[in-house]
Amino acid sequence: MNTNSNTYTVIYTTIIVALVAAILALVSQGLKSKQEANEKADTISQMMTAARFATKADLQKMGNTAVLAKYAEEIGKAFTVGMDGEKIADLDLDKVYSPKDLKKQNYNIKDGGDVEIPVFIFKNGVTVVPVYGAGLWGPVWGYIAFEPASNTIKGAYFDHESETAGLGAKIKDDPAFQDEFQGENADFSVANVFDIVKGGAPKNADGTSVIDNKIDAITGATMTSNGLDAAIDTWLGAYSAWFNKNTEEE
Amino acid sequence: MDAKLKETILNPIFKGNPITVLVLGICSSLAVTVTMKGALVMALSVIVVCGISSLILSLLRNTIPSRVRIIIQLVVVAMMVILVDQILKSFEATYAIDKQLSVYIGLIITNCIVMGRIEAFALGNKPWPSFLDGVANGAGYGMILLIVAFFRELLGSGTLFGVDVLGWLGYTPNNLVILPPFALILLGCIVWVQRSVQKDLQEK
Amino acid sequence: MEYISLFVKSIFVDNMIFAYFLGMCSYLAVSKNVKTAAGLGVAVIFVLLVTLPINYLLNKYVLAPDALIKGVDLSFLSFIIFIAVIAAIVQIVEMVVEKFSPSLYSALGIFLPLIAVNCAILGGSLFMQQKDFANVGESAVYALGSGIGWFLAIVSLAAIREKMAYSNVPAPLKGLGITFITVGLMAIAMMTFMGISL
Repeated sequence: MNTNSNTYTVIYTTIIVALVAAILALVSQGLKSKQEANEKADTISQMMTAARFATKADLQKMGNTAVLAKYAEEIGKAFTVGMDGEKIADLDLDKVYSPKDLKKQNYNIKDGGDVEIPVFIFKNGVTVVPVYGAGLWGPVWGYIAFEPASNTIKGAYFDHESETAGLGAKIKDDPAFQDEFQGENADFSVANVFDIVKGGAPKNADGTSVIDNKIDAITGATMTSNGLDAAIDTWLGAYSAWFNKNTEEE
Repeated sequence: MDAKLKETILNPIFKGNPITVLVLGICSSLAVTVTMKGALVMALSVIVVCGISSLILSLLRNTIPSRVRIIIQLVVVAMMVILVDQILKSFEATYAIDKQLSVYIGLIITNCIVMGRIEAFALGNKPWPSFLDGVANGAGYGMILLIVAFFRELLGSGTLFGVDVLGWLGYTPNNLVILPPFALILLGCIVWVQRSVQKDLQEK
Repeated sequence: MEYISLFVKSIFVDNMIFAYFLGMCSYLAVSKNVKTAAGLGVAVIFVLLVTLPINYLLNKYVLAPDALIKGVDLSFLSFIIFIAVIAAIVQIVEMVVEKFSPSLYSALGIFLPLIAVNCAILGGSLFMQQKDFANVGESAVYALGSGIGWFLAIVSLAAIREKMAYSNVPAPLKGLGITFITVGLMAIAMMTFMGISL
């Protein structure tokens, strides 16, 4: 057979491309529910890590079912708020915001669309809000937990899609980086809520981070650090109206 | 095993090493060698992807029209990589591994070792030798990756596989080592050592 | 103004070779002399300039969630579509050049298929997806800038290598070894541009 004739080339290519697209579509549809279940459990364990219920590694060991059960036990209420700080709607308690949902809201915050961003409040009063932005290679996101009705940070957890292992990926893998956020007071009156600075944030004599809203950047990961800095500023900025109201009232 | 097959397996690991002799797959060897763990994950995935896609394309080799062969090769390789990713993502046990791996997916698809071996070997040889050639090239690539990662993690972070090695001696990690240019300089040194031993590889 | 800063930034600050280390294989393999290096550089500029706007439009109007049909998210196909577009463009360019200018084809011919696996090209498309450009114009400017950055990088390395052919380099280091080290030093020098925002 002449494999170089035009007809053969066109038909062959069409068949291969159609076949590949069909296989991928089939696999992606068929496995979607399983993937989403895994993703949801992962998102929940990230929120619970930020709120310091357990470490990420411990939650991973517990398995999906146990994580979901623990979350159902601890979560108090969840609702969405707008840019003006007004509550928009209650959320189902088993609903979480995946990175994909956050991406949509990230567009809205930046382009002035209808912002509807989630707030999760656990039964012990700890409030968790998400942040989302662009790193070097792909999106970075995370969850920041606040002490009950205050702007003091209880903990944070960050994740990424494809930052460089050992450099940018440290926002997720390096608990020391996440711990630096602990105890900081988010100042919602300024646009630049947090600074991730190069060359070292001031340290106390015992090596703990000074409460000055400055976080040590990760060496060799300038772009990831800058991206995370922008993500935190953008998102906490969007939440500022709600936080200002909420901390005054109580 | 006959001599030719043995040659197919051993050649890519030393004399025809994809990185230090054929100059393939450099981009990814700079990106993933900051930690031993990253290098190991990348090495294993390239061995698997390179072997299987060589096998598939070798089976198809007589039917592929030469004018569109690049598209067909890339589409098959990309499909393989995405399939592995999707399947790993859907099981609870492998989800965490996949999160580690998904970082490298783009790098695995564009890794020129995979394409290079398909173009140079699999399209002209029977499936079984092609599969072995793919695996062996993946292994030769992985070996260099691990050597580079060993020095970069040891000197750049003072650890190996995340375990503290030099830190307790009071070693201050060298930040230059974790930047990509240092990987290039290390690769230069590896080439130096290799060519001092295998003199026939030296360029004039 | 925005276009100019994006253009300058993509050449120097976000240089594909020195900042992201993309497209290294052909960069090292095809930089023995200035003439062929320039040929490959031009080809990379051209392919980037064609594929990026096409991938931008595909990403925005076909692959993004809810873009084609409401409720359908085709983003899982983005890798394979980008790759297919790049490979198709490379192949079309190869055929067109072969048909209309055989002399250019013989000068450039062997480098063209290499471009399909040049990670700088796929990297360009993936960065484009990340950066959320506002319109096709921005993606084209970004493509042109990245291409020129790559072109400058390969031509300057080729120039250094041409001169280095006359230096007294230890025999095992000759050729590839010293090239690796040279690129490493060039990259350290180019780091001065890192993090500059325009």
